Amino acid sequence: MSSDTPGRIVTLDADAPDGGCPSPELYRRIEGRLGYPTDLFDTPGLLQGAILRSEHAHARLLRVDTSRARTMPGVRAVVTADDVPGLNRFGIVVRDQPVFCEDRVRYEGDAIAAVAADTLAQARAALAAIEVDYEPLSLVTDATTAEQQVPLHEGGNLLTQETFHRGDPEQAFAACAVVVEHDYRTPRQMHAFMETEGGIAIPDDAVGVHFRVGCQSGHRDAEQLADILALAPGQVTVEAMATGGAFGGKDELTVQPAAGILALKTGCPVMIHLDRFESCRAGMKRHPVTVRMTTGCDADGRLLAHRVEAVLDTGAYASLGPAVLENFLDHATAPLYRIGAYSVSGRLVYTNNGVCGAFRGFGGNQATFAVESQLDALARELNLCPRELRRINLRSVDEPGSRHQPVRWTAPPVEVLRQAQASPLWSPEKGSRGRWLTGTGMAMGAQGNGLGDGLPDAGGGRISLSREGRVRVEFGFSDYGQSIGEAITHSVCEVLGCQGSDVEVMLGHSRGPDSGPTSASRSSVLVHGVLNRMLPQWMEAVRRQAAELTGYPGDDLAHGPGGVFHQGRQVLSYRELAEHGRREAMVADASQDFPVAPDQDHPVGRYLQLQIATVARVRVDRLTGRVRVTDLHHITAAGRVIYPPGYLGQIEGAAVMGLGMTLTEDMPAEDGRLRRDNLDQYLIPTFHDAPAQRVDVLDGTPENDPFPVRGVGELGIEAVAPAITAAIEAATGVRIRTLPVEPGVLLTAIHAREVVS
Amino acid sequence: MNDLYRASEPVTFELNGETVTRSVPAATPLLDLLREDGQCTSVRPGCRIGRCGACNVLMDGQAMPACLIMAWQLPGRRIETVEGLGGDPDFLRVRQALVEESALQCGYCTPGFALSLVSGLRERRQGNPVDLGEAIAGNLCRCTGYGGLKRAVEKHLSPCSSTSSDGGTVSKKQISGEPE
Ligand code: FES
Ligand code: FES
Repeated sequence: MSSDTPGRIVTLDADAPDGGCPSPELYRRIEGRLGYPTDLFDTPGLLQGAILRSEHAHARLLRVDTSRARTMPGVRAVVTADDVPGLNRFGIVVRDQPVFCEDRVRYEGDAIAAVAADTLAQARAALAAIEVDYEPLSLVTDATTAEQQVPLHEGGNLLTQETFHRGDPEQAFAACAVVVEHDYRTPRQMHAFMETEGGIAIPDDAVGVHFRVGCQSGHRDAEQLADILALAPGQVTVEAMATGGAFGGKDELTVQPAAGILALKTGCPVMIHLDRFESCRAGMKRHPVTVRMTTGCDADGRLLAHRVEAVLDTGAYASLGPAVLENFLDHATAPLYRIGAYSVSGRLVYTNNGVCGAFRGFGGNQATFAVESQLDALARELNLCPRELRRINLRSVDEPGSRHQPVRWTAPPVEVLRQAQASPLWSPEKGSRGRWLTGTGMAMGAQGNGLGDGLPDAGGGRISLSREGRVRVEFGFSDYGQSIGEAITHSVCEVLGCQGSDVEVMLGHSRGPDSGPTSASRSSVLVHGVLNRMLPQWMEAVRRQAAELTGYPGDDLAHGPGGVFHQGRQVLSYRELAEHGRREAMVADASQDFPVAPDQDHPVGRYLQLQIATVARVRVDRLTGRVRVTDLHHITAAGRVIYPPGYLGQIEGAAVMGLGMTLTEDMPAEDGRLRRDNLDQYLIPTFHDAPAQRVDVLDGTPENDPFPVRGVGELGIEAVAPAITAAIEAATGVRIRTLPVEPGVLLTAIHAREVVS
Repeated sequence: MNDLYRASEPVTFELNGETVTRSVPAATPLLDLLREDGQCTSVRPGCRIGRCGACNVLMDGQAMPACLIMAWQLPGRRIETVEGLGGDPDFLRVRQALVEESALQCGYCTPGFALSLVSGLRERRQGNPVDLGEAIAGNLCRCTGYGGLKRAVEKHLSPCSSTSSDGGTVSKKQISGEPE
């Protein structure tokens, strides 16, 4: 960290903490030595698998004939719905997605069959030889009218709806001096992780299956897979390998069911690795949202009333949709601001438009986009500075949350605003210069860590001494390069007074401790809590062993670099302890429930709240309508910074992902077909699209806060979109409410304004 | 399918300093040829259409996407991947810059970026003015938002940066070379 400015605000840079050495992991990754699940070609006897996807977005399956495919060269197995040994369904919240469709397909990526062959070319050739007869059915493509269309599932197309209420909104609206009402739309964003979905399934001796895959929750996946494969839970092992990006898109099962069935059928390890075309077509996406927001305030700008009506398109299957809806609604209540009365409701519907599930931000950033835009609209009506309107309405640290639940804020929200107000991005480069219109805007966001309302949300870890004498720390979390291993090592070193090389972190094995899913920005909080519980136990156990071996009283022994010390002198190294001590006595386990708001009739998640303000500066090309974001300045309040490079990378990476969603990224569906099939059409930001970024951190939490460490994996995406559209408005006078910003639409609107003025 | 895709033919080329011969159909992408025997898995598919740079190799010193190079183009060519660059001064310099700025997260894209940068540095050494930002314009990274990459290029790899002497690195902290 560098450039301490008065107060607790710190500008982050990429230096490792305490001038420590960069993690050896970095070298492995740069040198290509980290094996990803889709690199495992050296697995003995490996077969290649491929999945047959539906040609129709909605159709009855009349016939699936695999007889010709089975006789093709190199083919070892062809499987369909008839070959699923157990439950032909999966889904984290609702098990409604078939592994292989039986009699009906509901989206273009639906799986119908799979082949294992000696080579991928052979497997693909066999797929092409499978004969399928379809009877097309009428399509459900418009989420807003989905409930009136042909039902895609037994209970109809309304999967779930929910409303949060507070006070009497109708009465409150009547008292408003100003009311604004607008419609907003957000895109079907694709995760576009660089390593597409993939991994291998290995049949193992205990007649089970061992998975080595990219995924986000080894334990939960193992449970689902055991049901699909009709195996006992202990017969499925999932190794959540370090994977090339996930962002929520590997939270649900991807290739595992098909690979597992093929592995059992052939008795050989099977790799399935979706190529980008298949990933675009079949993979998870972010829920597109259509929302109308009506918001009113009094003449001084105090928010009085707020109404939200939203429809989220979950596509053909539920996956984590219901939880996304809940988080969307939570954020739609405008958690940062005091609002007298609200009615916030949303519906989650099935359509034939692909499948949607978890994606960094998890519905929250879609809601924040609309909420923050509403505040700007009110400020404009009142002729008030948008920052001032926010200042008037921001909650103070000791107030409860928007749903009346107790909350733990990391810092006073108004302090975050104050820092944003002081951003250097406000000063120079105002107005237009020839072809370029420039402008600065800002938005704020809050985000609660944890899985949310009423969901089981525990996590555990284990610490032991390895045979080689290293302090082994195990958690079930997956590693996508979010620096979780580095953060764990750093925390352990701090307590034990040892060096990074004394510690070995093992992540993501379903035979190891169950930490719950690697999502919802929950890992950092749980790692901190669990380490706090188990480290003292473990140190005690180690000192006891050391006392037995050395004869010194345990109380006189202390932990230090590389081992145990007596009066400042090392008396036993960890290696000697491992050799001569009883290793089984030097193990500690702990787990804890994710902290949720206490004293609630109905459990409300979102207890641990984080905040961000993002200031954006843009340049709009008056000739083309293209927008370039030149700068992003974030002020974050997300608890203690454990590992600065990791924290910085999470904020910067999430922000650019949000920038993509704002300016270019969308997977439009037309007649149930997803219209972009690779990265030449689906445009994620490149090096040249990336803005200069600065991250200023309000480090720490209020005095006596028991949860000083929070997770920052999603915070950076929270406020980017409304900050950019606010900046565009500052530059052009045009407010865009449909994302991504269409240059043509923006240009037309700019010209229309220029004609008028 | 015609013979380009089916009949295997031997192709001989140089891979990381060694002459190798592989028997594959002429239309096999170099990407698959390098990966499928598990030898050079740093060369990775991200799009297979030349858009992402995750599959980059150096062909005769130039960064190129291996998904667009077919086996029949290989005879007589010199192919390098990060697996073979352990002693290359330009690669070591790039590696150091990426490490210093934590310019990676999942790392899937990283060897591809590194090769684009190495190719740029080599070209610059031949006296051509090279904009390294341009050199990595064809590489996609989904994790980092390019912040670390920007810092690496600007602070450590620009012609006038403190670490510009060939192969040498000036680091504010001591970094152990090969930490395994
Ligand atoms: S896989 Fe070759 S450029 Fe993307
Ligand atoms: S570090 Fe993950 S894609 Fe670049």
